[in-house]
Amino acid sequence: MRSFLAVTLVAALTAASTAASSGEGQPVVPTFANETAAAGIEHQFTGGWQFMVGGGVATFDCDGDTKPDVYIAGGTSKAALFRNTSTSGGPLKFEKVESGAELDAVTGAYPLDIDSDGITDLVIPRVGEDVLMRGKGGCRFERANEAWGFDGGDAWSTAYSATWEKGATWPTLAIGTYIDRKQEDFPWGNCTDSKLYRPAADGNGFAKPNALAPSYCALSMLFTDWNRSGTPSLRVSNDREYYKGGQEQLWHVDPGKPPRLYTPEEGWKPLKIWGMGIASQDLNADGYPEYFLTSMADNKLQTLVDPGKGGPPKPSYADIAFKSGVIAQRPHIGDDVKPSTAWHAQFEDMNNDGRPDLFIAKGNVSEMPDFAMRDPNNLLLQKSDGTFVEVGDKAGVASTLTARGASIADFNRDGKLDLLVVNRNGPTEIWRNMSEAIGNWIDVSPRQDGANPDAIGAWIEIRDGERTLIREVTSGGGHVSGAKTAVHFGTGSSVAVDLRIIWPDGRVGRWRNVATRASHGVAKGTEELLR
Amino acid sequence: MTGRVFAERGIKRIMFRNLAAAAIVSIAMLFTGSIHGSAADNQAGAKMVLDTWYRLMLELVRHTPTYTPPVASRAMGYVGVTAYEAIASGSARMESLGGQLNGLAAPPSRQKSVVYDEAVVLEAALAKVVRELFSNTGPTGQRAMGAMSAKLGKTVTAGVAADIVERSTAYGTELADHILRWAAADGGATIINMGFPVSYSLKPGPAAWRPTSLIVQQQAPLLPGWGEIRPFAMPAGAICALPPPPAYSEDPGSEFHRQAREVHETSRTLTDEQRTIARFWADDAMLSTTPPGHWISIALQIIRRDNLSLERGTDVLARLGIAVADAFIGCWHDKFRYDLLRPVTYIRRLIDPKWESLLITPPFPEYPSGHSTQSGAAATVLTAVLGEGFAFEDATLVPEGMPTRRFASFWQAAEEAGLSRLYGGIHFRAAIVQGLAQGRCIGAYAAALRTLR
Repeated sequence: MRSFLAVTLVAALTAASTAASSGEGQPVVPTFANETAAAGIEHQFTGGWQFMVGGGVATFDCDGDTKPDVYIAGGTSKAALFRNTSTSGGPLKFEKVESGAELDAVTGAYPLDIDSDGITDLVIPRVGEDVLMRGKGGCRFERANEAWGFDGGDAWSTAYSATWEKGATWPTLAIGTYIDRKQEDFPWGNCTDSKLYRPAADGNGFAKPNALAPSYCALSMLFTDWNRSGTPSLRVSNDREYYKGGQEQLWHVDPGKPPRLYTPEEGWKPLKIWGMGIASQDLNADGYPEYFLTSMADNKLQTLVDPGKGGPPKPSYADIAFKSGVIAQRPHIGDDVKPSTAWHAQFEDMNNDGRPDLFIAKGNVSEMPDFAMRDPNNLLLQKSDGTFVEVGDKAGVASTLTARGASIADFNRDGKLDLLVVNRNGPTEIWRNMSEAIGNWIDVSPRQDGANPDAIGAWIEIRDGERTLIREVTSGGGHVSGAKTAVHFGTGSSVAVDLRIIWPDGRVGRWRNVATRASHGVAKGTEELLR
Repeated sequence: MTGRVFAERGIKRIMFRNLAAAAIVSIAMLFTGSIHGSAADNQAGAKMVLDTWYRLMLELVRHTPTYTPPVASRAMGYVGVTAYEAIASGSARMESLGGQLNGLAAPPSRQKSVVYDEAVVLEAALAKVVRELFSNTGPTGQRAMGAMSAKLGKTVTAGVAADIVERSTAYGTELADHILRWAAADGGATIINMGFPVSYSLKPGPAAWRPTSLIVQQQAPLLPGWGEIRPFAMPAGAICALPPPPAYSEDPGSEFHRQAREVHETSRTLTDEQRTIARFWADDAMLSTTPPGHWISIALQIIRRDNLSLERGTDVLARLGIAVADAFIGCWHDKFRYDLLRPVTYIRRLIDPKWESLLITPPFPEYPSGHSTQSGAAATVLTAVLGEGFAFEDATLVPEGMPTRRFASFWQAAEEAGLSRLYGGIHFRAAIVQGLAQGRCIGAYAAALRTLR
């Protein structure tokens, strides 16, 4: 097994910025430089109807240098791995490397240490057979479907999430599928079954998958402990364009039991949207995540109606997108008043002010004339009152190419989050965060021995006297895009914060005070910082 | 198909078929529905074309973002007239709607003494009209239309002589062009921002409509000018104008308040059957075939069940399409004349601040109920064409996981559809009662059209 990686990035010696806002509650606008031309990522997600959705990216460190590398889906082109050769704080640089994972018909990808050997593997949804690639180290991979008993099927796969069920030594994978692509004349109402892969009884690899029936053309899935019960449920965002009788879904996935849907009797309210992506984060520090669901025209931001009052919460959510200012229903630049089409969404603190912001990748499905054709990406900064303000244009990330998947990561390890966007039938774009007067930060990597070394399902808490920030460690969501990187927190002007981990088995780690402007690995058991 | 066998057996047979077909056309004029041989195959092919394009249209309605119920009803009107004229142009039993419908000049005629293939004519006409009306649908709809055109085109032309195919296709296309030119001038062809005005000033006063959703587009009402577009059979959108709704009042003793309390009370005491009825007729835009599509679906089920002849089938579909299209025009005329607030607005304001309706309140004024008006019009015209006390089953919602419902008459269904809006909490009773009455008035114009001789 690869040893725990000890990472502590010493803060840059430049004067620490303590800016948290520009005054009057207005957040500092981060600035980005489009470094696509020079970064060395020449790649496109291409294709026609069967690749109208998808175009994802997996972000993870494949060579042990702590800098996130990217594996990008190609659709009708080959997927490709780009190794990050950026210098710390320098321009973004990548080089395309031979990885053994140059598959075609790839819609997206997610990194996960499936076999818990300390080396990241890849889950690759495809149009056709889904493929698991075992990481061999050094950014090399080998097919592992057969070795791990994984039946990749033959579907149009467009979503994924993973969890480690209690006591399991292998993960449980959910793969979401889309339309029966053989139904050319009447594809509507022909969603194929999504699948749940649970560990094999012998503790090695996967058992035959179970259908997550009914399935409603999933475009995003996320295992998330929405009610803090200790057992994550599976949220599925479905595309209403193609289902009949369907809706958004939340599945009970209890160990040893078949998955079953949450019902109206339990409080689940039907919602029918063109579900395309899920982003989650606890925005109001009540301990429960909010969920942002991308769609066409209006997007949704859901918060629990009654969190923790009078017993365990029910899965009833109120839509607060309108009052929060994140509805993002039409282009925010240009004169096109037609509705937008939203795909990947991700909450991250782009200006390190201690308040998570929201990035949304936008792009027309495919020549849908009633929707904006030049549909700019959104960057919505959270203000001190909890509402958001659009700054995509000012920040320089409002590209109007046809975006799909995306990744927000600190590619050049300077403590400022950068951005990569996968466009359909257009160049993949990458931006470097050039902001100067933004806040402090810490990156946190919880690690545990044995199965699930990256502690998927853990909760990371940060407090500094002014605020508490809570993040769940998940694998899935977005739009066919996912990362296995350190969890980033902006901390504003704080030079030190309290940090603790609530581990996937429920064990609550101890608070410890840590310096900001640094990356911290935290080991379960000792709670020691890894170096 | 028999035609395919012809092709395999050689040109002599084809020539024979052309002659035979000409004779059978004449026979069919006298004995529609009981003919045999090649013409029967021809009828079967045309029926398949009719049914398939209609099924596809109902899917496209659901999946094309501009296709709110009024826009859907318009398409159903034009597609119905197209199918009717395609068949009528080859039938001595049918009278053209040219000159009967507002602005529709006499359609092009077929050449005399030559043979046409009904299925090829119908396929060419429907393919062109549907593809044009739904030209703004998404990639999947475009792909489906393309695949359907190719598949149906290949099927219906198999074994048919090339000159007949060419002539029939040309005629169907010419007819389609004629219909599309007519459609383009009705004032409803261009839909901007999915039908929601980009800027709109809400009318003042407590009785005025207020937005009921948090969706940004829906802060303005849907298609405020729809009542002014050219109707099909009725003279104008205002021809079946309704009396005003009960006077707005916040007085607990007023009729308006009483009707609001009825909506509120009903929602709190809903039976399972009432809940089922509300959902059965919900017919939400973008989530269903829409209310006019629901009635078209009913008609298609009857046409299949009773194996109606092409003449009767296209008569039913044309008159039904015209009736529901006119119903939305007339209904919208009065919706924006009275601009009444929805129950959810009034009830939350005065009775129960946290009240939620079972159904999603649609984003436009309340009075009259659109589903009631168009269901009344549909029942009127279907009763006129198929008869009083016409029992039928409706399996439209089976793919959605809902059961088949049975009705003893079209009016029973229409009245249930109307009441479903009360159960769903989105209409006061007056809008339902008056909507059905308005539908009866509007439907009479479609019922009065001269079609089958």
